[in-house]
Amino acid sequence: MEFITDYVMFWQDEYQSIMTYTSEHLLISFVVIVLSILVTVPLAVYMTKMKNDKIKSLIFNIANIFQTIPTIALLAIMIPLLGIGFAPAVTALFLYALLPLLRNTYTGIKSIDPSIVEAAKGMGFTTMGRLFKIELPAALPYVMSGIRVTTVYIISWTTLAALIGAGGLGDLILAGIGYNDQYMIFTGTLLAIVIALLLDLAFGKLEKKYTNA
Amino acid sequence: MDFITGLTQYMIENRSELLALTIEHIVMVAYGMALALLVGIPLGIIAARYQKLAPIIISATNILQLIPSLAMLAILTLYMGLGFQTMVIGLFFYSLMPIVRNTYVGIKEVDDSVIEAGRGSGMTPLQLLGKIQFPLSIPFLMAGLRVASVIAVAVACLGPYIGAEALGKEIISGISLQSDVKIYAGAIPATLLALIADFMLGKLETRSKQRMA
Amino acid sequence: MKRFINSSVFALLIILLAACGTSASSEGGEVFEYGAQKNTDPKIMGQILKLLVEDQTDHEVNITEDMPASPQVMGGIDRGDFDFATLYSGEVYNNHFDEDQVEYSTDPEATLEQAQELFGERYDMKWYDSIGFINQYSIAVKEDFAADNNITTMTDLGEYANNMILGTDNSWIERDNDGYEGYQEAYGYSFEEARGMDVALMYEGIANDELDVVTAYTVDPQIIEYDLKILEDDQKFFPPYEASLVARNEVIDEYPEVADILDSLVGSISTEEMTQMMHEVDINKRDAAEVAKEFATEKGWIE
Repeated sequence: MEFITDYVMFWQDEYQSIMTYTSEHLLISFVVIVLSILVTVPLAVYMTKMKNDKIKSLIFNIANIFQTIPTIALLAIMIPLLGIGFAPAVTALFLYALLPLLRNTYTGIKSIDPSIVEAAKGMGFTTMGRLFKIELPAALPYVMSGIRVTTVYIISWTTLAALIGAGGLGDLILAGIGYNDQYMIFTGTLLAIVIALLLDLAFGKLEKKYTNA
Repeated sequence: MDFITGLTQYMIENRSELLALTIEHIVMVAYGMALALLVGIPLGIIAARYQKLAPIIISATNILQLIPSLAMLAILTLYMGLGFQTMVIGLFFYSLMPIVRNTYVGIKEVDDSVIEAGRGSGMTPLQLLGKIQFPLSIPFLMAGLRVASVIAVAVACLGPYIGAEALGKEIISGISLQSDVKIYAGAIPATLLALIADFMLGKLETRSKQRMA
Repeated sequence: MKRFINSSVFALLIILLAACGTSASSEGGEVFEYGAQKNTDPKIMGQILKLLVEDQTDHEVNITEDMPASPQVMGGIDRGDFDFATLYSGEVYNNHFDEDQVEYSTDPEATLEQAQELFGERYDMKWYDSIGFINQYSIAVKEDFAADNNITTMTDLGEYANNMILGTDNSWIERDNDGYEGYQEAYGYSFEEARGMDVALMYEGIANDELDVVTAYTVDPQIIEYDLKILEDDQKFFPPYEASLVARNEVIDEYPEVADILDSLVGSISTEEMTQMMHEVDINKRDAAEVAKEFATEKGWIE
C-alpha cells in the first residue's frame, strides 16, 4: 500500500516535468515520422517508375545500412556533424525510419494488378491522375502498416535521444538511473510503452478502415 | 582525410582488442538469440495451437520489445547484477517478439488443404506439427530471426552500461572521452556485424523459401 | 529442429559456466573488481589502484568502465560484483536515504561523515577519507562572457539567466536538494531552458556556442581547455563532492596488504593533479593506464 501512496505522491510532485518530457518525446517522434513520410513516399513512387534496377537496389541498400547502424552509434556519429539536441536526434531517427516506409510504399504500389493500371491508361488517365486516383489509394494499406511499425519503433528509440540533449522520456529514465530513483525509471518506461501501444492501436484501426474501403 | 588515417591507424594498433570485442559481441548476440529460439518457437507454436492464448502471448512479447533499452538494462541489473548474463537476457527479451510472431504467422499460413491432406493420411497432431506445419513455417522464422539479429546487435552496443564489454565499449567510452575515432572504431565493426547477419540470414531465408517451393 | 535445441542447450550451459567464473590471478592471488562510472576521474583512480595492487601484491585488479552513474556502481558493490570504487561524499544526499536519516549540509566534513556512516553500513563497505580532489557541481560560463559582463558569482548571473540555455547531465534537473529546483530557490532565478545530456557533450555544446552555461564538474579539464569560468557559489548552495575510495569490508578484512594500499591513497591526489591527469586523457586522448603509470612513477609510488 505504501508503495502506491508513494507513487501517487511522486506523480503529484513530478506531474509537470513528466508532462514536459512526454510532450518533448511526442514532438521528436512526430517530426521524425512526418519528415520520413514526406521523403519516402514520393521517393518510393518515383522508384516504381524507375527503369534502372541498379539505382533502385542501391537506394534500398543504403536505407538498409542506415537501419543496421546501432542506435547509440548513429546518435554518437551525429554529434560531430550536427552538434547536440533536437536536430541530430531527429536526423538519426529519421534515417532509421526510412527503410520500412520505403519498402512498404514500394511494395504497395508494385502489388497493384498491372491490368488495372492498363485499364486506367485506356480510360485516358494521365500519369499523375493514375498515381493519385488509383495507385496511391491502392497502396495505402501498405503505407499505413509501414507507418504503424515505424511509429512504434521510433517511440521506443526516441528514449536514447536524451543522451544527446534532445530531451524526451529518456531524460526521465536517465535521471532515475543517475539519481537512484526507481519511480522515474519506471514512469519513463511505462509512458513510452503506453504511448507506443496507443499509437499502434490507433494506426491499426486506421489501417483496417482503409483496407476495407 | 586526417580523420580517416587516424581512424585506420587506431584500428590497426588496437586490432586484437577490437577483434576480441567483436567476438564477445557475436557471442553475446548468439546466446541471446539461441535462448530466444529455444523459448520463442514453442511459444509461437502454442499461440498457433491455442487461439485463445495467441493475443496474450503476442502482446506480452510485443510489450517486452517496446521497453526502452536503457530502462530494460537498468531494471534487469536490479535483479540480475552486472555483466554478460544480464545482457544476454536483455537480448533474449528483445529477440523474442519477432521469433514468436513469425513462428505463429508461419504456422497459421500453412494452407488448410495441406493440413487436411496430412490428417487424411493418418498423421497425429504432433506429427502434423513436426512434419508439415513447422517445416513449412521456417522461411517465416528465418525472416523473424533476421529482424531480431539486427536489433540484438544494436542493443548489445549498450553493454558497457551494465558492465558487459563488447563493441559498445569503444562507442560509449568514445562518447565520454569525446573521441570520434573511438566512436567510429566501435560503430563500424558493429554496423558490419549487423549487415553481415542481415545478409546471411536473408540468404538463408531465400534458400529455405526455395526449398519449400 | 534438433540442432536448434542442441545449440540452445549448449548456449545455456556456457552461460551457466560463465556465471561461475574463475577469479585467480596469474600469480596465485585474487582478482579484484573495480567499478568505474562514465567520468574520467574514477577510471584514472581505478588504474592507479590496479597499478599499486599489482605492483605490491600477488593480486590483480580488473576494471569495469562506463557504468552509467554511481547508483549502478553501488548496486554492483552490494551484489559483490565490485570490490572497489571511487565515490563522492555529496552522493549521500541523492535519494538513497530518508530525510530523517540524513541531514542536508554543504559542510565538507559533515557530508563526508554522513557518507562514511550511512553508505558504509548499508553496503557493508569502508568509505575512506578523501583522496584529496573534489568533483562537485558548479555553474560555469565562458570566460570572455563573464569578463565582458563582470560576472564572478552565481548571483551575478541572475541578470542574464533568462536568455541563457543551460546544459547539464540527465539527473541534475530532477535532483531534490542540490538540483535545479533547489538552485532556483536559492538564487531566485531560472534559465531560459535546461537541457539534460551526456556530460562530455555538455562541454562540446558550450564550446560550440550551442549552450550558454553548464553545470561543470570542478575537476574536469574541459573547464581550462574551453576557457570556462566557474562562478563562485556565493549562496553556498552546492554540496561538496569529495572523492573517496571505497572497498567492501570483506575484502579489506581478509587482505590487509590491499587495505594498506587503499589507506596510502588517502589525501594523495589534489584537484589540480587530477585535473592534469584528466587533461591528458580527455583532451590529449591518451590512455588512462599510461597516464596513471606516469603519475604514480612521478610520485615514487612505483619504480
